[in-house]
Parts: sequence; C-alpha cells; structure tokens
Amino acid sequence: MKRTIAYILIIVASAVLCPSQLVAADSRTTAEAHWQEGIAAYESRNYDAAIDSFRQIVLLGEASADVYYNLANAYFKRGQQPTLSRPFSGGELGNAVLNYHRALKLNPAMEDARYNLELAVDHTNDTDGVPQSFISTLWHGLRNAMTTNGWTITSIVMLACTLTLVMIYLLSERIAVRKVCFFSALVIALGFAVSTLLATSSHYAAINDNRAVVQCSDTTPVHASPDSASKIIRQPSQGVTVRISRNHGEWSEIVFADGEKGWIRSSAVEMV
Amino acid sequence: MRLLQRLTLVVALLLSSLTLQAQVSFSVDAPSPVAVGEAFRVEFKVDAEPDRNSFTAPAFEGFDVVAGPSVSTGHSVQFINGHQSSSYECTYTYVLIASAAGRHTIGSATIKVKDKEYRTTPLLVEAVTENKSTAKQGQNPENLVGKDDILLRLNVSDTELYKGESMRASLVLYTRANIDHIDNVSIPPFDGFWSQELSFDNTPTRVEYNGGVYEAYKLVEMLLSPQQSGTIVIPEAKLTARAQVFIESKRNSNIFFGGRDIYHVTRELKSPAVSVTVKEFPSGAPASFSGAVGSFRLESKMPNSQLDSNTADQIELTISGSGNLKFLSAPRLILPESFEVYDTKTIDNIKVTPSNTSGSITYTYPFVARSPGEFTIEPIEFSYFDPATGQYHTLATEPFAIRVMDDGSASTTPVISGGLTGYPATMRQLDRDIRFIHTGKLAHRAASSFVLSPAYWLIIVLFVAIFIVVFVLLRKRIRDNRNIVARRMKRADKVAVQRLRMAEHSMKEGRRHDFYEEMLRAMWGYISDKFNIPVSNLTKETIREELYRRNVSAAVAEHFCDIISRSEEAQYAPSTDGEMDEVYADAVEVISKIEEAIKR
Repeated sequence: MKRTIAYILIIVASAVLCPSQLVAADSRTTAEAHWQEGIAAYESRNYDAAIDSFRQIVLLGEASADVYYNLANAYFKRGQQPTLSRPFSGGELGNAVLNYHRALKLNPAMEDARYNLELAVDHTNDTDGVPQSFISTLWHGLRNAMTTNGWTITSIVMLACTLTLVMIYLLSERIAVRKVCFFSALVIALGFAVSTLLATSSHYAAINDNRAVVQCSDTTPVHASPDSASKIIRQPSQGVTVRISRNHGEWSEIVFADGEKGWIRSSAVEMV
Repeated sequence: MRLLQRLTLVVALLLSSLTLQAQVSFSVDAPSPVAVGEAFRVEFKVDAEPDRNSFTAPAFEGFDVVAGPSVSTGHSVQFINGHQSSSYECTYTYVLIASAAGRHTIGSATIKVKDKEYRTTPLLVEAVTENKSTAKQGQNPENLVGKDDILLRLNVSDTELYKGESMRASLVLYTRANIDHIDNVSIPPFDGFWSQELSFDNTPTRVEYNGGVYEAYKLVEMLLSPQQSGTIVIPEAKLTARAQVFIESKRNSNIFFGGRDIYHVTRELKSPAVSVTVKEFPSGAPASFSGAVGSFRLESKMPNSQLDSNTADQIELTISGSGNLKFLSAPRLILPESFEVYDTKTIDNIKVTPSNTSGSITYTYPFVARSPGEFTIEPIEFSYFDPATGQYHTLATEPFAIRVMDDGSASTTPVISGGLTGYPATMRQLDRDIRFIHTGKLAHRAASSFVLSPAYWLIIVLFVAIFIVVFVLLRKRIRDNRNIVARRMKRADKVAVQRLRMAEHSMKEGRRHDFYEEMLRAMWGYISDKFNIPVSNLTKETIREELYRRNVSAAVAEHFCDIISRSEEAQYAPSTDGEMDEVYADAVEVISKIEEAIKR
C-alpha cells in the first residue's frame, strides 16, 4: 500500500514538473550559447553582434545582472567606435546607462557596474543630485551591499541563530554558557531586525522603482507642460536618469535628480 | 699638366664661339587672344643679319593683312671692361585683323642667314567675337570707358574644398582701356582662412574673359587654407582705377601731336564677393587623425637599440610632403612609464608654393630611460586626409625594441619620491575606461525577491513553530533546570552564608573574640562541607591542595589561607572595628570566588 502511494506520487510529480523543467532547460542552453557568442563577439570588438546576443538572452527571460552589465558595456563600446560620425550617435549612451541600472537593480552589490555607470554618466549632461544626509547614505550603502534576497537570507539565518541561542540559554546549566548565549542572542536579534528592514526596504525600492533613462540620439526637449508648444525648460542628453512621477497621454512627468520637474514624450524615456 | 689645362681652355673657348655663331634665333610674337576686328601686330624677329630678300612671310589664313611688312633693324655695340659685345636685331612687323572668330594658326615664316634657313614655329592665335555692350560713341570721355572695360575680379582656384586644403586666390584687374593709375586698393580680409601672400609674375597677360579680350594685371596672389568648415564668404575687393582716353581735338590746334586731347576717367571698381564651400571631413577618421590634409610621408630615426639607464636619447620623426604642414601637431608618442619624457622639439622646413605648402617637419622627442629592462616603443601613428582621393591614410612606424642596460647607479626597485629610478612618487592614472565584461558561465536568472512572499512567511512561521515545539517538549527540563541552578546557587553558599551571618551578627554587637571564632568556623566549615573532609583533618596545606585540585587559582587559595591566619592572630590581639569589616568583606569575596571557580 505504501509503495503504491509512493509510485503514484512520483508519477504525478514527474508529470507536473518535467515539461516545465524541460522547457526551462532548453531556453537555458540557448541562453548559454548566446552568452558565449556575445562574449566572443565583444572580445573581437564586434559590438553589434555582442549587443544582439546579450539582448537575445534578455528576450529569453534568462537575464542575470551580468547579462545586463555585459549588454551595457557592449552598447558603450559601440558608441565609441570611430566609424560613428560622433560618439554615441546611435543612442548607445542611453542604452548603456539603462542597462547598468538594470544590472544594479538585480545585483546592487556589483561594483564593476557601479564604476562603469559612473563613467558613462560622465558623458551625459546629468545634474548632480541633492546631497543626501550621512544616515541616508549609510543606509543606502548598507542596502546596496547585498541583493534583496541576500538580505532576506541573512535575516532568516539570524532568526534561526537567535532562536537557537535562546534555546541553548534556556537549556544550559552552566552560567558562562548562559551569559554568552543571552548576550549574543540579543545582538543577533538586533541584526535580524536590521536585515529584515533592509530586505523589506530593498524590496519596496525595487517594486516602486520609477526611475527611467532618457533614450535618444542626442538631446531631447523637456517641456513645462504636456504640450509641445509650451516652453522647453531643459534639454537632457541621452543617458540622463530621471524619475517618472505620472503619465498623461503620450507625455510623462519626470523629476530630475536636482528636483526639477518637467514633461517629456513617453517614447523618449525607458523605465529601468 | 699646365699645358693640358691651357689647351682644354682654348678648345672650350673656340667651341663656345662656334656655337655662339651658330645660335641664330628667329621668333614670332603675336598677342593672343585677339578680338575679331581688332588690329594687332605680328612681329618676326631675327637676331642676325639676314640675307637679302630671304624673308618669306607665312600665309596669314583667317586674318586680313592691314599693313606690313615693315622692316626695322637695330644694331648695337657695347664695350664693357674692354670686352666688345654686339647685338643685331631685325624685325618684320605686320598689322593684322582677325576676320572671323576661331583659332587661327600663323604658319612658319622662313629666313636665311648666311645661306642657312631658319623657320619660326607656327603660332596659334585665338580670335574672339567680343560682345560690345556699350557703344563707344560721343565726345564725352566718360562714355568712352564702358562698364565692361575695366573689371576687378577675385579669382579662386577652388570653390569647394576640405578644411586644411589649400587654394589660390588672385585679385586681377581686367582692362580694355588704357589704365595709367590705380589707387585705394582694398584687399578683402580672408577671415576663416590661413593666408600667405605669394610672389608672382606681374607682367600683364592677354586673356579672354567673359567674351572679351582683356589685359589682365594680377594685383595680389594669396595661398588660402580654410580653418573652419561651412560656407565662407570672401567679401568684395575695391580699388580706384584711372583710365586715359584720347579724343580727337575739336580745336585741332596742335599739329604735332595729332590733335588729340587726353582725358582721365576714374572708375570705382568692386569685385563680387566669392563664397567658398568648405566640406566636412568624411566620417571614420582614424584615432590618430588631427587635421592633417594633403599627402605625406613619415620617416623615423629611432635611438640606439641598446642604451644605458639614465642616459638621454631621442626619437626623431620627420613628416614630409605637401599639405597643411604648418598646422600639424606632433604625433603622440607613447613611451614606457619609466621613461622620462621631455618637451618635443619641432624644426620645420616649409616652402610656400603657388599650389600648396610643402616641405618637412621634424619632431624630436627627447627622453631619459630611468630604469633598466627590455621595452618596446609602440608604433607612432600619423594620419592624414588625402583630398585628392577623399580617403584617410595612416602611417605608422615599426614597433621598436629597446634594451636599457643597468648603468650601476640605479637600483631596480622603485624608490618613493622620485629617487634614483625616476618613478614618480605616486602612480599616475593614465586613462580611464569601462571595466571588462563578465565572462565565465552564464549565471542563473536572478530569482525574484522572496521577502514578504508566502515562502518567506512560511519559513519564519516554521522556525518560530520549531522553537515553540522544542520549548513545549523540553518545558519540564527547562523549568527543572532553572530550579536546579537556583538550588545549587543557594546550597553552594548556604553553609558558609549561615556562619558568616553569625559572624556578622557578632561584629555588629562588637564581640571581637566571637566574631573571629565564627569567621574561623565558617571558613573551616565551608571547606569541610564543600569537600567532605572532617575539620580535624584540615590544615592550610590540605586546603591549598584541595582548592588546587578543583582548579581554583593559587592566588585565591592563598588569600583564603591568609584570611584564616589573620583571623587566628586577631582572635586574641587587640584590634579596631575597621579590621573586622575588612576581614568579613574579604571572606565573602574569596568564598564567592571559590564558588565561581568550582562551578565553572
């Protein structure tokens, strides 16, 4: 009887799991092939082919932070090819900045992407943001030290440690052990609270991410109101990062890093 | 030897005199182009005395002979420093009128000098039909110089060229009138160009211009090289010209001078503005392109391939050719980091020719190799744009291996603050670029964040549940454990505590003897109870031994024995109250220390 139930369970499980796993494995091997192709193309300075390969991986839904990072690098390198009439004339800078942001969104701890993003942003006419307070900088720095899941796992491990230590404290007969357990449980419980907060904060920051990057071949006008006849208040270049606060028809209201607001055609910005 | 020299000299002189005699030049001269209906002169000149009646004129096909031949001869003898030289010239002049427009050839004329026949080369004369717009009529001298008779033009050799390419511009005065004076010449500013005045032949030439035959006087010639792209307009040039006009005198008073009056007519002339289109360079310029236009060669002179450290040497690079040499910048030389590079010296040897600037520029890159080793000097690249083919060309030197030998004075290790090796104190950031892509295996797709997801809550609840279950399962042990500990702690001190309390009681009442007695009993009793040894068997030695066996530190054991000794002494000795307090506190402390040590 037990055996029959076990067999039935196995059959049902394989029927449910196998097809999806097969499909996943298939797209995964294709993505792996594209990945190697893209790296080879990039190394031979064929950036057009590299961009194409890395984009294929994104379209397959197999994109990791590394894929976005490599894609951004390929865009940046293509924009600096001497064959172009002027650097980034094909909107490569905007695409590079966008993909560095996407890589960092998936893995905020990717230091290379942060470095390259900074370098790419130097080519734009982006304004400096409002300087943040020390606490805020510390909090964001800590949050970006790990991915959301990294912080989540940290918090869960800390919870497990806290509970174990409390249990040892309760069961131990030796004073020294009890003391050590008690205080370390306190500290780790604090760590659990902080990492849970960081994970939640990181999670909501990703959900409510309204950042967008200006995409154009040169500069694009930002109007005072959603109307092309209204005054042009700014001319951001490609690669300028803004926040979208609302949409109105084919216009989007954007907020610059320094707090200035304006309206831009929705087609000229792409969400991170 | 001397004789031979003299002989050769004599022979040479004889030969030269012979050839001189043989050189008879017979030439024809006629203006070209000429206007149809315009009378012009054709002159045949011979510089030796011709034989009588030996001159035969060609058939002037296409021309009407108005007059001629008129023969004029001239002979001159000169004595200069005792040397005689004579020249002879005989000229046969015809006056012709072209009867029809077109290109007419004046055939060969022949002449005999000392029975030897000479021929002129045929001469091409172009006859042009002039479109005389203004009738030169009337007696007003102003009307006699027509609008088209004096023109000022700025001629440019090119109106469409690349930035940096060269072109020629000349200011030319075209005239059909007899100009005797020009004034107020204003040459336009050649803004947007690099300009260089050229020397030129200022003899007037006869040209056909705009359907008329003019004398052209070149006033200024410039070599221009545009320095910006786009359309550049060279503004108008101006001058004032004065022409002489002869009019038959009505008064007819002067018999000798043909009865003509001379009038002056003044004209203000302007050349039309000229616009020049300067083309952008095509895309795809090499990285080493810095605006060189023309056609160049690159030569390099490398230093010795082996040199001692701390010795100076140099690399020489010569760019020669024609183009905008004056605007070249030194090609970038990348030397290894340990090479100290000094300022580049530039020596140029540039000539300005009517069509271009040409010559060569030599760049000298001095350096001092500071540290020994094997180095490679990367190729030096120089790119230029060839406007003739519309393509970029890149010239490069060969990579050059150089071996720097240790001269003994330099240590191979870098020294801080630019010591012997010449390394700068801090490493310089030479350039920045984006970091390389990530390679290796494709990382798995990033999982979506699972904080606050059902799985997350499940894990949290599971952990808490496990904790609660364990707590519930072990609750009896936990409770017991808490009691055992409490009992232990109580019992551990109980024996001593009771006795100490009694001692305290005695202390408060001031019974010194009783206090010390209780103290001693408490101390001995504590050890006796604790280690289960009868008091009669206890000595200080056994106490030390027992405490040592239970890992109590020697200092604590010694302190314990010390308190016993002090109490024994104090029992019968007169003493103060303060001492009792001290002994009591010490005893409590040492007992608690022993408790702690044993329990551990």
